[in-house]
Amino acid sequence: MALWNTKPPVERIRNGYRINLADEERDLLRNLLAQLRDLLVGPNDHPALTRIFPAAYDQPQYAEFDAEYQRLMRVDLVASRLAGIEIVLLALNAKPPLQEGQLLAMTQAINGIRLVLGTVLDVSEELDIDDIADDDPRASDYHLYGFLSWLLEWTVRALTGDNS
Amino acid sequence: MPPASSPVELDEPRFDEAIDPAHPWVVIVWNDPINLMSYVTFVLQKLFGYSLEKATELMLDVHHKGRAAVSTGNREKAELDVFRLHEHGLWATMQQDD
Repeated sequence: MALWNTKPPVERIRNGYRINLADEERDLLRNLLAQLRDLLVGPNDHPALTRIFPAAYDQPQYAEFDAEYQRLMRVDLVASRLAGIEIVLLALNAKPPLQEGQLLAMTQAINGIRLVLGTVLDVSEELDIDDIADDDPRASDYHLYGFLSWLLEWTVRALTGDNS
Repeated sequence: MPPASSPVELDEPRFDEAIDPAHPWVVIVWNDPINLMSYVTFVLQKLFGYSLEKATELMLDVHHKGRAAVSTGNREKAELDVFRLHEHGLWATMQQDD
């Protein structure tokens, strides 16, 4: 991991943006994106997808509206996420400068992976990756989650021009 | 089907079933342990055109109070807003204002 590199993982450059990730980090992202894609096209009641497909109407009196929302919009939600994944896969291979749309897709895709991983890990708001013991069986997943949070934070910073 | 409390306006098109100007639908973003504060602020700015200040204020409401109303409108608009928030991974629901 390049966590201690002086260069931010994503930065604004003239005419666009640049991703400064090492090859193995790009491979890791490709692998995670492929896993997200597999989940999205698989059985859609997979518990890891709870946060990817939340209820739109959470009050019992609108259960019928929500059933309709899930029936009609889930297809669009999956299609939108799959299209975003393809954009990011291409962006990971592309020469800079990258365009804003590619970075926007990256924020959504990285966050999608975080939603799945965070759901599986059942993370709490108080989560501090530094507190996870090295011999915790899920230590590597927590570190992956931390890596994705770090990457998302920098992607948002690049997009908003906040380099502090 | 419209909620029982909705008035029936005969001159309104049928797909506007749930429009009730006195009781618009409210889109709510809920606090969750996964979404980053900076990301939530960014998404609210991007989707609704809020200023950094307004989006930050809403994000802090979500964070500290557990929820914030981020948009209002008729049912169709609220549903589209919820969909766009779901596309971005935010935990959003909609309910009718009372």
